[in-house]
Amino acid sequence: MIADKQNFSPFNEEPISLISQAGEWTAPFACDLKDEQLKTMYQQMLAARLMDERFIKLQRSGKMSFVAPHSGHEAAQIAAAHAVRVGTDWLFPYYRDYGMTYALGEPLIEIFAQVTGSRLDTAKARQMPMHPSSKELNIFTGASAIASHIPPAVGAAISMKIRETGQVVLTSFGDGATSEGDFHAAINYAGAQGAPVVFLCENNRLAISVDFNKQTGAENIAIKAKAYGMPGYLVDGMDVLACYYVLQECVENARAGLGPSLVEAQVQRFGAHSSADDDSIYRSKEELEQMRQRDPLLRMRRFLENQGLWSERDENLFKKEILGEFQAIIDTLAEAEKVPLEWMFDDVYAEMLPHIAEQKKDFLG
Amino acid sequence: MQTIVQTVARTLAEEMQRDERVVVMGEDVGKRGGVFLATEGLFDKFGPDRVMDTPLSEAAIIGAAVGMAVHGLRPVAEIQFADYVFPGFDQLVSQAAKLRYRSGGTFNAPMVVRMPAGGGVKGGHHHSQNPETHFVHTPGLKVVYPSTPSDTKGLLKTAIRDEDPVVFMEPKRLYRAIKEEVPDDPDFTVPLGKAKIRQTGDDLVLISYGGSMAETAKAAEELAKQQISAEVIDLRSLMPWDKETVLERVARLGRVVLVSESPYTLNFMSEVSACICEEILDSLLAPPLRVTGFDTPYPYAQDREYLPGPNRILRAVQKVLEY
Repeated sequence: MIADKQNFSPFNEEPISLISQAGEWTAPFACDLKDEQLKTMYQQMLAARLMDERFIKLQRSGKMSFVAPHSGHEAAQIAAAHAVRVGTDWLFPYYRDYGMTYALGEPLIEIFAQVTGSRLDTAKARQMPMHPSSKELNIFTGASAIASHIPPAVGAAISMKIRETGQVVLTSFGDGATSEGDFHAAINYAGAQGAPVVFLCENNRLAISVDFNKQTGAENIAIKAKAYGMPGYLVDGMDVLACYYVLQECVENARAGLGPSLVEAQVQRFGAHSSADDDSIYRSKEELEQMRQRDPLLRMRRFLENQGLWSERDENLFKKEILGEFQAIIDTLAEAEKVPLEWMFDDVYAEMLPHIAEQKKDFLG
Repeated sequence: MQTIVQTVARTLAEEMQRDERVVVMGEDVGKRGGVFLATEGLFDKFGPDRVMDTPLSEAAIIGAAVGMAVHGLRPVAEIQFADYVFPGFDQLVSQAAKLRYRSGGTFNAPMVVRMPAGGGVKGGHHHSQNPETHFVHTPGLKVVYPSTPSDTKGLLKTAIRDEDPVVFMEPKRLYRAIKEEVPDDPDFTVPLGKAKIRQTGDDLVLISYGGSMAETAKAAEELAKQQISAEVIDLRSLMPWDKETVLERVARLGRVVLVSESPYTLNFMSEVSACICEEILDSLLAPPLRVTGFDTPYPYAQDREYLPGPNRILRAVQKVLEY
């Protein structure tokens, strides 16, 4: 399954996994990540989980209109952020990826400002919650239309290739997105061009309520890469280090001119599709309980504890610290002024067109 | 002297020469030079990295253009026929059009999507349509539809230099029908949103754009023979459109006929007509009349009859004059 660290074999039948449920390193090569980075990865996973829980509370208290929980996806998302070069490479994420953009360095204040539709949102509170965007960090602004960000991701990668910038694109999406025409159009074009792009499918086997088996007749998503002329890797998406090493290899292969890859991270969605969904209609508590046994946080925590890098005390301290940070941000946001009404009319075009100026004037007086 | 389609190719070459970020992409735009030869000679001059043959996928073409534009290129994408834009329509509507707005102005997509449009070429319903209403109805897109070689040059240059996505519709039945001298100046531009008065007149105003300008001009010639003097306005640009000129000229004469070959219901001229009625009703001597295509798919056998030809325009003029 794994030849060596820098050469995973594509079209593997069993998902690539590097740490066991008990947190033991099982790979035939040494883990060369520094202790600090390993700890950071776990801390970001934990922060992402707590962020998710905080989002749900904010939604229930009326401060957010919508949440698409990412709990269960943390390993894949945090790994992706570590696999790319921050500020050089570009991310084209989807709406369940706040764990990823947070780990890439998107400031918490920006994230919370976006999801609460605050005046402090860098995107001027134009989008519903769960749509990351950062010009500074090269995070392409999110779009709700499923898979519609994948063709632009490929376009950016083609631009990187023809201008020889040495950059790479990583774009992520769920399993449902792979049924969209845009997925096919984009990955097909990337294959034909040998564009430096990594496609990351966070496959939680549910598109809202629709089971993976109704999404495709293929045995998995990774195998589809074959038809597009690129390697496809099946990865245990609950194993942050497996996700990291595979994605990192794909990113660096892309940078080296070896073309695109498709990585399928097999994750679990612990929450409902969104705050507007009731998943008890289509899956049982027992099923969910079983999934949670494979919690990516538990596995990474055990791994760190086995190495003597983490303890119950560290866990409690970090939780306290991050929850305090959340609260401080929420307090700051509570003091922000309302989003100005006139912002509705800005940024449709570089310069406001006369008819929009007229409508603005009519409306605001 | 050059045709519209020659002007497209020459203008693209000039813009690619001027700005190395300008790239051309689409189906058959490379060695083939485009099925209409609108990109003729570009591949030999600028090579495969700047004149890119793409897969047969409008979603890939328009979507990738968005990504290229965001990353710093200035892509000019060709959709082989406007009728085939729909697989890429979501990329225009959900991605290109909303990018600046949804990112709070931090991202933008300076790109042009060119597409030959319009009927009268025996193309049936999948090679004849005029989908401009879809684009005009999508805030964030600009829409241009020239009718002459010179305007094609000036507007295409402006579109390529614009910071927002521009849908550039080309009147394909006029591609080779008109020849004229085109200004040599490599910086000759025509602003978006400025109409052109093709002919001044005293009895009524005829307004049109794109391919229908040809039939409108013919109708004006016929009217001249009958001693009826029509003012002829070419809108050239639909988003933004030159409301100021239209209202001023229509208010002066009080009578207007609006000609456009796309279907009647929600034809772009419905918008022009509504603005005229809302804003200068008191100046009107007759209701504005639209002469358009029909609310049917574009037919094959009745290819010419579907178009708002000179006779239909003349009948409308008569009604407006006799009102």
